[in-house]
Amino acid sequence: MSAKDHPPPSRDELLAMAYVDGELDENARRDFELRLAAEAPLALEVAELRQLAVLARQVAPPEPMDSEWDRLEKEWLHTGGRSFSLLLTAAGVIGLFLWGVYAAATASFGLVPRVLLVALLVGLAGLFLVTLRARLRTLPYDPYTKVKR
Amino acid sequence: MIIVTTYTISGYDVVETLGFVCGNTVRARNVTKDVQAVMENLVGGEVEHYTKLLAEAREQAMDRLIAQANAKGADAVVGLRFSTSEIATSAAEIMCYGTAVKLKESV
Repeated sequence: MSAKDHPPPSRDELLAMAYVDGELDENARRDFELRLAAEAPLALEVAELRQLAVLARQVAPPEPMDSEWDRLEKEWLHTGGRSFSLLLTAAGVIGLFLWGVYAAATASFGLVPRVLLVALLVGLAGLFLVTLRARLRTLPYDPYTKVKR
Repeated sequence: MIIVTTYTISGYDVVETLGFVCGNTVRARNVTKDVQAVMENLVGGEVEHYTKLLAEAREQAMDRLIAQANAKGADAVVGLRFSTSEIATSAAEIMCYGTAVKLKESV
């Protein structure tokens, strides 16, 4: 491996590095922040650099338990068991929710409370989905997800 | 950017105090991690998912403090302190604060 394997950083990459390191003057910082608001790839570049900076300042030397955690993560019984259990739990929650909506819609009490109950359940599900969508959209820009301790 | 919990930094003199800076955040993990944390709570030992949650919150709060200090043109933050409180169940709220200063190397 040599320096030839890595192309020199582009102007935008250098600007992003300077921004993350707090080296831009006030005008340059403001201009760069305007570009950040408009250019998603640039914002992603900044998020990746910030993640690197966060990990670099971590004082987290390996602990004896870490190697056992790594071995556990490679065992199918651990990862498969966890995934299967979470899948079962999720299926149970979704099934119960759908059953709840059906039960509310066909309940013996009056039309108005039935409609209100269904509206409440569907509204909660809608809020959850909107929040989940927002989280998934912003997740790539969250530089703290790889912090361990 | 030098960040210390003391009010002086060896080898430097504080030449200007720029004022109070702080950073805070409230972070949560997702419901699947919370369920696993409940299981870890049942069997004992380190609740790894919450250790990670606190560490994420600490780093984010620190970054916000550093950004404020940078915006003030500071060289360092002295007297750094952390505080925490509980706003939401299973969420970590961390606030860190200190004093932004400009430094000059001691002669």
